[in-house]
Order: sequence, then structure tokens, then C-alpha cells
Amino acid sequence: MCSFRWCSHPDTSPSLKQGVKVQINLLDRVRLGIAVFAAKTITSTIRTFKLGAASVLPGTIGKRLHPQILTMLSQQIKYGVIVVAGTNGKTTTSLLLRGILEKDGWKVVHNEAGANLVNGLITTLLEHTSLTGRLKADYGILEVDENVIPLVLPQLKPKYILALNLFRDQLDRYGEVDTITYRWRKVIAELSSDSILVVNGDDPALAYLGQQLEQGENPKQVKYFGLTEPELYLDKMPHAVDSIDCPSCGTALDYKGFYLSHQGDFNCPKCSFTKSKLSIDSKEWPQVLIGVYNQYNTLAAITTMESIGISKPVILDTISTFQAAFGRSEELVYNGKKVRILLTKNPVGMNETIRAIDRVKQTGGSSVTLTILNDRTPDGTDVSWIWDVDTEKFVNSGGTIIVSGDRVYDLALRLEYSKTNLDSGCKLIIKENLQEAIDTALELTPLNEILHIVPTYSAMLEVREILTGRKIL
Amino acid sequence: MELKIGWLYPTLMSTYGDRGNVIAIQQRAHWRGINVEVIPYDRDSHPDTIHQVDVIVGGGAQDRQQEIVMRDLAGAKTAAIKAKLDAGAPGVFTCGSPQLLGRFYEPGLGEKIEGMGIIDLETKHPGIDTHRCIGNVVFEITATRLAAELTELLGGQKPLIVGFENHGGRTYLGPNAEALGKVIKGYGNNATDGTEGAFYHNAIATYSHGPLIPKNPFIADWMIKTALQAKYQTEINLAPLDDSLADRARAAMLKRLNINQN
Repeated sequence: MCSFRWCSHPDTSPSLKQGVKVQINLLDRVRLGIAVFAAKTITSTIRTFKLGAASVLPGTIGKRLHPQILTMLSQQIKYGVIVVAGTNGKTTTSLLLRGILEKDGWKVVHNEAGANLVNGLITTLLEHTSLTGRLKADYGILEVDENVIPLVLPQLKPKYILALNLFRDQLDRYGEVDTITYRWRKVIAELSSDSILVVNGDDPALAYLGQQLEQGENPKQVKYFGLTEPELYLDKMPHAVDSIDCPSCGTALDYKGFYLSHQGDFNCPKCSFTKSKLSIDSKEWPQVLIGVYNQYNTLAAITTMESIGISKPVILDTISTFQAAFGRSEELVYNGKKVRILLTKNPVGMNETIRAIDRVKQTGGSSVTLTILNDRTPDGTDVSWIWDVDTEKFVNSGGTIIVSGDRVYDLALRLEYSKTNLDSGCKLIIKENLQEAIDTALELTPLNEILHIVPTYSAMLEVREILTGRKIL
Repeated sequence: MELKIGWLYPTLMSTYGDRGNVIAIQQRAHWRGINVEVIPYDRDSHPDTIHQVDVIVGGGAQDRQQEIVMRDLAGAKTAAIKAKLDAGAPGVFTCGSPQLLGRFYEPGLGEKIEGMGIIDLETKHPGIDTHRCIGNVVFEITATRLAAELTELLGGQKPLIVGFENHGGRTYLGPNAEALGKVIKGYGNNATDGTEGAFYHNAIATYSHGPLIPKNPFIADWMIKTALQAKYQTEINLAPLDDSLADRARAAMLKRLNINQN
């Protein structure tokens, strides 16, 4: 049992009992009503006549008619908004948070379609708003793109901010990890002290962010989650790490061990920077799905839910019945063959994905993997990241790897260069055409095994379209 | 035969898959039966370590890491690297590391960083809110001696580099620096003068990553050949490797960008 509690049940929690104060004057209310009405009716017209996509358009219209629409809608959410941010794991964590809250009986607004830029957030809230501009919900769960955080936090005034992790990802669009941490710190510091931060305490840059925000003019309550399981340490430091130097003094950190990328047990040999105390013991909790990365997602959700005051049985029950979000370790059966789709967007994600697949491979449960590399805007146009992935072990442990995607030859080159000797390692099959790649992969997968498909974002959508026969976006 | 690869700051300076350059040189030597050793040149390395290596590889860093690297390089390590390059050691410096070779770098955030001052170039970041130079890039190597040697290696074909650039800083060459190439598609050094990179003795400095070498493997072969010829004082002819994957990767990108390979 958890003996140390930061929190109590919602019924007795003073901060939650009051909810978020809603202060909207009459004029604003009328203007909001007009904006909501217009956005919703125009959208339904567009949907009816199939004139375009409706996942972000209402937000665009609503914002045009009322610039403060995001604030005015989100402020009506009774117990406030939970913002989920980070490079990897936003969708799975949000889905788990939502499952737990709903199981506990709360009404939740959630941008489940993954539209995590400004207009997508507004659209989500509008869907739950009446034509007169009233939004009835207990909690909002909004996964927010890491680069949009500075823009939307002042408007959302969230009750909770979850900072899951920060890795190099799509640097072509976003610039560098340091720039992002700098912007996050600045914007979170300006929020009121009511906002609670839940950060990954195993990530040096985020742990430091938390520690800094616990001080200053507007100190925040910060909770840290992380692993306490040295048996999960990696054999050696992976190549794809971003924050292994002390964020305070720049000295190389001393690591007892790495759990995942630069997340691990560390302290600075020079200054006083070290890990903060973690809110919960990871050994006491099960996880959703497969892989260490999903263990982190689970811990982030548990820490937040315990802080809100949700009981352990409700959390455990939700974890045990959790269904993956589309493409995130999602399992399907196609023509009698089992398939697991593992969306992969960056080096750390791919390292962890192949680590999870390798575990299945070692037990004889899988010998065929299909990897697909696209370079469209949602994937990131810079594919150089595949060279930061430690593919050597995976390639040299045999089996079959089929490659496809817009950048099929770049991916094939990466895998080819992973071979210790040119005539050894896995069997590499190149298929430019995705349908052919999937057909080949399925054909080569024995009935008692599972086919792993590792696609980038747009490739994941294509794969799902082929396997399920319908578009999801 | 043995080839020693000196790798500058493997963890601090590897933001955009630049490790791929080390892997490609290493494997292309290894597959030909050459013994390869990769020697990191890091914060805890003795400055003289660089004198053991035959080729030098450096990649890109984020601004903060670049600052840490520069502080560490100042003094004895800079002198050692300069001596090594002046003696003709082949080097490939991609992404952020050309900035280090230059006189200074002004980052988007924070103080101006002094460079090693080996190549006559300077780099300025116009601010973190300015657009970065991002996209697929194609350029022709024009540095006189290198272009001639590569053209010979390629059996008469002109040396075309296919890569990806992603840099906030804009680099300007001084009168004593020779450009590596001229841009066919992309931004290049500064998005204005059409130059890309710099060439100094046998050191290649370029913003082009992707990483650079796997898709332009002739660079690796030129480096290996040049280094081993100097080391063993004999003519080296490397056995050909099957580069059909690289050829197809290049062809796919050139086709997408509507560039005729000849």
C-alpha cells in the first residue's frame, strides 16, 4: 500500500471541491454564444455536404469569431484541464487518464483524435459545448504538441501539467530540446500556484525544470514519477540521449544506470543537482501494453490520478482492461494472422520499440518485422534520425525485416550498415509498394507468431487503412 | 592494414544522425578486411590522442552542447586538431562542427562562442524565432583538388552530394576559405551566396547531413584511401562494394527534386 499520500479523495479535496472559477461577463457570454453557434452550424453544414475535414475547422472558425474562445471554454470545465505534454507517450497516457477518470464516474473531455495543435484543442472543446456556449465536463484531458505549449498554457490555465519526456524529435520543425525546455519553463512559471506539475523525475532536464518551478515567485507543487528497478537498466548508455549533462552546471552527470535514453538514476558529481523523491514506487504497480516506455506512461497516469485522489482499485482495474490507442502497440488480426502496430517517430521511440520486439523475438513469438519510413510533414521531413537508432543488435539477431515507405532505401541502408558481416544477420526484403510489403510480411509470419509493424506516423495511418479497410482521419 | 577513426565528442555532437558517418566509414573499411578502431575524442581525452587517428569525424551539436565542446576544445585540443588537419588527415565535419572550425559562432540564445579559428569562416544565428534552413539539399563539390580526386574515383562522374540540411546558423566564408561546393538545391552556407561548406587541406566541412556518407559513399572511400596512402606510403586501391542501395536512395531523391544526375 501507498503509505504516503499527497492528496485525498475528490470529495474532501478543497482545491477540487471549488472547481475552477468561471468568470464570464454577459457581453462575453453573448459573443461566445455567437462564436460557438456559428462554428458548430458551419461545421455541420460542411460535414453534411462533405466539403472538407471537420477535425480542426470548427476551432478555426470559433477562434476567428472569439479570440478568447479557448480560455472561455476550458474555464468552464469543473475541475480543470490536465495537459499532457512530451515527445513520446502523449496519446497512450491521455487515454489511460481518461479511462481511469471515466471508470471513477467523471465526465471527461478529451482530444482523442490526437489533434493537438490550437485549432484541434478548440474543436475538441466545441464538440462538448451546447449551442449557447455552455460546456459541461468534470475534467479536460488535452494532449498538447510540445511546441504549442507556450501558446496554449496561459489560455488553458491547466490544473495539471504532465511532462512525460523530452527527446530529439522532428528537429526539422521544432529546433532543439534545449529551446523547448527553456520555453516550457518560462510559460509554466507564469501560471498561478494552483497548477500542479507532474514530471518525469528520471529525465534530468525535466527533473531540473520541476525543481526550478518548485522555487521562485509562483512556486508550483511538483510530483515526480520514475522507475525504481535497477534490473531494468540497459547494458550500456544508448546513443540516442539528449540530456546527460547537468542542467544546472554543465558537468557530465554520474549515472548508476539508464532505463531508457537519458532517463535513469543520476546525480551531478560537481553541484548539488540530483533526482527528486519519486511520488510512487514503480515496483508496486502493473503497466499497460508492452515496453519500458509504456511503463513510464502508466506511472505518469498513476501519479496524476493518485494526486487527484482516485482510489487504487479503480486505477488497477483500468490498467488491467486497457485497450491501446490506434497504432500504439495496437493488436489486430488480419486474415487469421496476429499483427501488432508500434508507431515509431524518433530514435528513442524506435530503440524502445525494437527492445520490446526483441523480447518477444527471444521467446520465439515473432520472427518477422515490417518497418516503414515516410518523410511527410507529420513524420518529420528529416529522416537522419534512423542513424541514431541502435539497430545493430536487432539486425544481427536474425529473422526477417521487410522495409517500405517513402524513404525505403534510406531505411534499407541503415539496416544494411548494421550488419557485422555482409552475408550474415537478418534477411532484408525491400518493397517500395506498401500493400506488397504488408502482403509479404503476413505471408512470411507463421500462424503461431505475431507480425510486428513499425511505421512512422503517416505510414501507420496507411497501414491501418489497409488492415482495417477504412480511413481513421 | 588498420584505420583509426577519431570521433569528436560522440554524445555531445551527434544531433542529426551524424553517427552514420562514423558507422559508414567503419563498415566500409571493415567489410574490406581493414581493421578499424573508433577512438572517441571527448572531454576526458588527452589532447595528443588525436595524433593516433587517421581520419577525423565531427557532427552537429545543439547550442548548449556546442558551448560545452568549445570550452573543452580551447587551447591544447584545438592546437592538436589544427596540426593534424594541416598535416593532411582527412576529416569530415558536418552540421554544427564546421561552425567550430571557424572563427566564432553567435548562437540564437546566449553568448558568442569562440571557434577554433582553423578555417576562415564565421557563423551567426539570426535568433531563435528566425526560420531554420531546413530541407533536402543537393550540391556539387567544386573545391578544385577534391573535385578532381572524387571525379577520378567516380570514373568521370561529377561529385554530387545528396543530403539534408537543418541549421539555424548562417555561415559566411572569409577570403582565405575555399568553398566545398555550389548549391543546386537548398540553402547552403547562408541561403544567399550559393556556396556550401568549406574545404581545408583534406578536411570537408558541410551543413549537409542525412547523414552525409551513407548516401554519398565515395566520400568515405576517398577518406579511407587518402588516409591509408599517407599512413602506409603506398598506392591504395580499395575493392569495390555493392552500393546499389545508396544508388537507389540517391536516384529516388534526385528524381523527387527534378535534378538530372549528369
